[in-house]
Amino acid sequence: MRIDCPHCGSRDVQEFIYLRDAGPRRPDGMAATLAEMHVYLHERDNPAGRHRELWYHGSGCRAWLVVTRDTRTHAVFAVEALPASVESAST
Amino acid sequence: MSPQPFRTPAGGLIDRAKPFGFSFDGRRLEGYEGDTLASALLANGVRLVGRSFKYHRPRGILSAGSEEPNALVELRSGARREPNTRATTAELFDGLEAASQNRWPSLDFDLLSVNSLFGSALAAGFYYKTFMWPAAFWERVYEPLIRRAAGLGRAAVAADPDHYEKAFAFCDVLVIGGGPAGLSAALSAGRAGARVILCDEDFALGGRLLSDRRMIGGRPAADWLAATLAELESMPDMRLMRRSTVFGVYDHGVYGVVERVSDHLPTPPPFQPRQRSWRITAKRAILAAGAIERPVVFAGNDTPGVMLAGAVRSYVNRFGVLPGREAVLFTTGDDGWTTARDLADAGARVVAIVDARAEIDAGLRALAERIGARLVTGAVVESAHGGKALRGISVRNAAGHHVEMACDLLAVSNGWNPTLHLTSHQNTRPVWDATIAAFVPGAMPPGLVAAGSAAGRFRLEQALDGGARLGAEAAAECGHGRGAGTTDRTADDEGLPATPVWRVSGGSGRKRGKAFVDFQNDVTDFDIELSAREGFRAVEHLKRYTTLGMATDQGKTSNVSGLALMAEQTGKLIPDTGTTIFRPPYTPVAIGALGGHHRGRDFRPTRISPTHAWSERQGAVFIESGAWIRAQYYPQPGERDWLETVNREVLAVRAGVGVCDVSTLGKIDLQGRDVGVFLDRVYCNTWSTLPIGKARYGLMLREDGFVMDDGTTSRLADDHYLMTTTTANAGKVMQHLEFCHQVLWPELDVRMVSVSERWAQAAIAGPRSRDVLRGVVDGQHDISDDAFPYLAAREVTVGGGIPARLFRISFSGERAFELAVPSGFGDAMMQAIMASGRDYGITPYGLEALGVLRIEKGHVAGSELNGQTTARDLGLGKMMSSKKDYIGRLMATRPALVEAERPTLAGFRPVDASQRLRAGAHFLGLGQPASIENDEGHMTSTAYSPHLRSWIGLGRIRNGATRIGERVRAYDPVRNGDVVVEICNPVFFDPEGARLHG
Amino acid sequence: MAEPSSSAAGWRSQSAWAGVAVSGHLGADGGAGVTVCCLRDVGMATLIAPKRREAALIAAVEARYGMRLPEDPRTVENGGVRAVWAGPDQWLLVTADVSGVETLREVIADLGAVSDQTGSRAVLRVSGRAIRAALAKGCMIDLHDGSFPVGAAALSSIAHIGVHLWRLADGPDGAVFEIAAPRSIAGSFWSWFAASAAEFGCAVVVES
Ligand SMILES: [Zn+2]
Repeated sequence: MRIDCPHCGSRDVQEFIYLRDAGPRRPDGMAATLAEMHVYLHERDNPAGRHRELWYHGSGCRAWLVVTRDTRTHAVFAVEALPASVESAST
Repeated sequence: MSPQPFRTPAGGLIDRAKPFGFSFDGRRLEGYEGDTLASALLANGVRLVGRSFKYHRPRGILSAGSEEPNALVELRSGARREPNTRATTAELFDGLEAASQNRWPSLDFDLLSVNSLFGSALAAGFYYKTFMWPAAFWERVYEPLIRRAAGLGRAAVAADPDHYEKAFAFCDVLVIGGGPAGLSAALSAGRAGARVILCDEDFALGGRLLSDRRMIGGRPAADWLAATLAELESMPDMRLMRRSTVFGVYDHGVYGVVERVSDHLPTPPPFQPRQRSWRITAKRAILAAGAIERPVVFAGNDTPGVMLAGAVRSYVNRFGVLPGREAVLFTTGDDGWTTARDLADAGARVVAIVDARAEIDAGLRALAERIGARLVTGAVVESAHGGKALRGISVRNAAGHHVEMACDLLAVSNGWNPTLHLTSHQNTRPVWDATIAAFVPGAMPPGLVAAGSAAGRFRLEQALDGGARLGAEAAAECGHGRGAGTTDRTADDEGLPATPVWRVSGGSGRKRGKAFVDFQNDVTDFDIELSAREGFRAVEHLKRYTTLGMATDQGKTSNVSGLALMAEQTGKLIPDTGTTIFRPPYTPVAIGALGGHHRGRDFRPTRISPTHAWSERQGAVFIESGAWIRAQYYPQPGERDWLETVNREVLAVRAGVGVCDVSTLGKIDLQGRDVGVFLDRVYCNTWSTLPIGKARYGLMLREDGFVMDDGTTSRLADDHYLMTTTTANAGKVMQHLEFCHQVLWPELDVRMVSVSERWAQAAIAGPRSRDVLRGVVDGQHDISDDAFPYLAAREVTVGGGIPARLFRISFSGERAFELAVPSGFGDAMMQAIMASGRDYGITPYGLEALGVLRIEKGHVAGSELNGQTTARDLGLGKMMSSKKDYIGRLMATRPALVEAERPTLAGFRPVDASQRLRAGAHFLGLGQPASIENDEGHMTSTAYSPHLRSWIGLGRIRNGATRIGERVRAYDPVRNGDVVVEICNPVFFDPEGARLHG
Repeated sequence: MAEPSSSAAGWRSQSAWAGVAVSGHLGADGGAGVTVCCLRDVGMATLIAPKRREAALIAAVEARYGMRLPEDPRTVENGGVRAVWAGPDQWLLVTADVSGVETLREVIADLGAVSDQTGSRAVLRVSGRAIRAALAKGCMIDLHDGSFPVGAAALSSIAHIGVHLWRLADGPDGAVFEIAAPRSIAGSFWSWFAASAAEFGCAVVVES
């Protein structure tokens, strides 16, 4: 499997580390509740198909990336750099 | 050495000027360069090559390629012995030693062939039915029994002395297979300017052109082959990889290839690997892997001397070998007839041609006449007999009468199956093509297309045309134009395809012998009938119930026949019965090739500290600690064991001064306006109040509330901090901080980079540490207790201006410093510290003493920070700020993590001071039996404290903090430990911390 | 108690290759298909621009060093100072000696973060007709002219070791690369390199 890092170019998946679904946003601040944190940390969709997920180019540029991937075929539709994608996703 | 009685007087692609001596089961034989072991054995008249897996049936050579299910042998001897090697692909070399396998005491007389007599007992499902109960018998009785009786070869017992390599390659177009389709594809892609890699498992390129007498453009195919290879070799971006099997197709155009660099040589030449595993990344790939011929299922079809007709042509035309002198051809199509022709032309007597079809072309009839073969049409071979070598066959003719024929070779031609295995590695299934009665590639992995026989287009012209067209298309898709050059791709004619006969049933009066579908796993037609009767009709059930197709050959010659037989049983069509998909590797790959350079010392990269050479000079004993090689202790002459050494080191630190390498700690440089805020969010304690020039101990949680890491972080300037992490977690913490910064809080002005490799760092610990440092740090820096108190952290210089950093921090509880200098000065720093400390009796200490010192002080380390502990569990709950948000804040408040009963940190001492404590021991109440319910926690770290003259331990026990003075059992059944211990304060030494401040 | 410092003790810096590689020939006899120079420690620093404020930093570097920091994976060099892209808004500055890092610190002032990395990496300069074949045994990126031209740079891993590599101007034997590996892993990196280059014959020069 290969991921086309927007900074480095196409690289072997071995250079990357998968984290999780890119969707959940951390409930920051003292006002956040345990229930919100539980949702953020544990509640995940498990789609068969398109999935936006966070990957870390640990053996490359050390950038966190948002990879949109088909969980059934591993087809990669998009690889986006942060933080632009976070900002656009949060608006 | 014996002559080669079955070698033709001339012809073939072997080099008769280069004879090679080799041995088989100790018998000395001779072959030629260009032979495979199989062709050389046949040239010497060796028919019996091995015994079968389950029934120990005598087996010979069925094929001439990697699909071979029978002729598995052991190659070489000693540490280089390699079992289960296919004689049909093993290239002959001078001095090759080969041995048959799965026989005892000898190949000719095999005691376990009695299995064959009890055949019905060993039929499909036998293992499931017989060995189901009792479960405990599996390990002790059944498995050893089965392993002895049914098995393959013996692995070498000594370590493999050869080297293996991994390699990476990239190309526009990968061509898989070097036959006519593959060569045409490579040629047209190469002419268009594409970067091309062509792989073929064979040592010679040409595919079937090496084995068949064909014409291209009106001239012998050999001319076309030579011209094509010459042109390919001349192309700058063309890599032709012989002896290279593409064994797997992975996501996004990644292909696994194993190159047998030196398997054709007695030992690898100097500095050459035996094998090299490639990971090839290709924009496009063309599968031109050809096709595999199909056997027919009839009684005795495994008798040595029954061979695939195409393989017979390979032996005759390519290797100049007659696999028999009295041959019968059993065919279901026109293709097999060329075998009869070639055998006759090479000097064999073709006794008969048995064609299952009633109608035969006049041209073929004329051929039969010309070669003097008796023609029996509308007929089938019902059985073959002869045991260890074929002696004759029984033919059932169109009228249903039996005709017995004597022969020593039966060539079977029943059509071909496209070699489409790689197309299903991405979980796509082949589809049935009724016109050729075979599965052809269905949906393909992205970027891969099939050409020629692999696509079910068996005719030579189709291979040449299709390959050329797909090669050009692939090049164009990679941005290359159309190449110049033309090739005449007209080929000679090749009759009608086969109308396959899957199985010949019937028994002709006597008890019918076994008819094999899967030769390697000894699966018969009877097993498939049984499977159908017992309800295992789905193809995946059939496979598992009968083990059809589950041997090392993955059923290359058996899967389609098996499906056909199941279809017959269930009254369905073959495509409705199912397909099987194949998985990597296409052929077996040695683990050594996959590991490459990374074995032994190079299993994974190791890291050494910049003070390593200095430690070596002090006679240190080293230990692997994660990726690091660290000084464990520094024995001195006369010391009897490690404990004596470690005790000396520990006492020296507390009595005077010691020095220890701590370069391995992770170090992260943090700069920017918002670093203080950032640290507040990633650590559970408060950072924004840290003054410049100070260090602070920090505890970092994971978002789930458990402790992730700890360490000290220092503020070097207004917007400049230096974080240290534990050695083990350096990379993980860096990744976590990058996540926090890039994903969670990109608005913060924080710039971070690892500087772990930049600094050599030493801990100087003990009451005289400041005196020692005074002689190391440049004079203008005031390091007196007043100017440089506990937790001071500052940039200083050493050696007259070399930048350095000094921290007054302590892991040992003594007055202590950590000094960091640029890595290149690591050795010099240790020398300077030792020189300055000589008068104070400075003592180098290692990882063991470091551990004792920290356990004496109750400091937590890796054994306690094991990912299952909270700050509260470790007695550090007070560090968790209630005034700010930080990673892990909320989840650490989950009820289960704060309940009083949770095991918390405590110290432990044996009541009998002479008893040893062991980490891992579980705590039980006195007199309580050892059960899960009674488990109160466990010991995490232990050490011998020379100050207390006793073993001491840290551990977590229910309500730990409230039970000081109570006694419990430390129970360690694995090492026969059962020690009564007293729960105590985890700080064993100087609990007031008076020594810290000097 | 201000005592004199021990500067007279002769603090000498050791190369990252000390005790790892020795000058000479390794591997197959005959010519050297691969040439490797184990470079002495030079001045090195990580330069990080504040997010979305990299323009001022790039301008300051251009004014002082006469080269424009690359914003994609490339390397530039002028007057003995080399800048190598090291990730978004990050560069590795390589100078002939340690004092170059001090100069850089002055040039950058508060326009970005400078972290001295001198001595943190073990650097090889490699070339020779077989250099790509040798590197292919561990390098997971395509070093073909079309993919990795002169001036290209990459952060990647070789034989499971994180490396920073870049391509210099071609030499008499074709492509020349520099590869920087973490100092602590120099031994394992060398073990891999020596094993990979051995079949081609390898001339080794260790700079002192
Ligand atoms: Zn990247």
